[in-house]
Amino acid sequence: MTLNNSRSKILSCAEFQEQLPDFFAAGGADSIDDPALLEHLKTCENCSALVRDLQYIADQARQLLEPTHEPSDNVWKKIQEGLASDPSYAAESNEK
Amino acid sequence: MEVQGLQMTENKTAPGLFKRNPPIAGEAEAIERAKEGDSEAFSKLYALHKRRVYTLCLRMLGNVSEAEDMTQEAFLHLFRKIGSFRGESAFSTWLHRLTVNLVLMHLRKKGLQLVSLEETINPSEEDSPKRDFGSRDTQLAGSVDRVALERAVASLPPGYRMVFVLHDVEGFEHNEIAVMLECSTGNSKSQLHKARLKLRELLRQSESTQQADLKEAAL
Repeated sequence: MTLNNSRSKILSCAEFQEQLPDFFAAGGADSIDDPALLEHLKTCENCSALVRDLQYIADQARQLLEPTHEPSDNVWKKIQEGLASDPSYAAESNEK
Repeated sequence: MEVQGLQMTENKTAPGLFKRNPPIAGEAEAIERAKEGDSEAFSKLYALHKRRVYTLCLRMLGNVSEAEDMTQEAFLHLFRKIGSFRGESAFSTWLHRLTVNLVLMHLRKKGLQLVSLEETINPSEEDSPKRDFGSRDTQLAGSVDRVALERAVASLPPGYRMVFVLHDVEGFEHNEIAVMLECSTGNSKSQLHKARLKLRELLRQSESTQQADLKEAAL
């Protein structure tokens, strides 16, 4: 991602970090190709650690897709009661 | 029961969601039998998907009782409308979208206005992530385990948690989240960024506490 207005100036941490939501939405730190931003990323230890951490958190979030929680048996009982008390569940499907 | 605003037809799905939701053995057959009203097929589909649906509800709501109620609602809607599932997207993607819409409707009924994230579910100053300009902090150790991350996500303010779960965990795109939450894509990006900043802060606090505990135990 290139931002023309930041090409020729030295960025502050605040200016760099303002751009982060768009960079991450565009694909993460690898999508940064603006020279001023790359220079800041290379020279600012704090911002580079921040970018690495945010990327790491986004990567780690994927492991949460695999579920760990299980509903109580009561949930299925109530679903069965709902199915039994409303004949439209089966009938509606059969009409299609 | 007809639910306003629920999209029960299949939407075009982001490619990433197909990757995240590969077909499950026995699922296609169970879907076809469920369409004919086969109660065993309903049971099979529930067994296959109950954990992910419940986990999604729990993460979005942060409350066991409400999460169970919404899981029940989601499956009752699923079984009622399964005839309209044509197999054009992954079944689990369709089910998760249905679940997310139900949960969001539930939250709106409770009075949580999702029209503008900035105005309504933006956390208080106390909950906001700290800015990180120029401080000399170390980075995360790179060994954050699932339990620590799960705990940190659970303690996020609701607005941050919602966008984080939808985007980073469930794989929805910002434009899809914007439609669901009735906000701009820019708002969705901004909330996600703040959510990750807040998570970083929480995870670092957790690491510091662990290290302090270890030191104390060693004394």
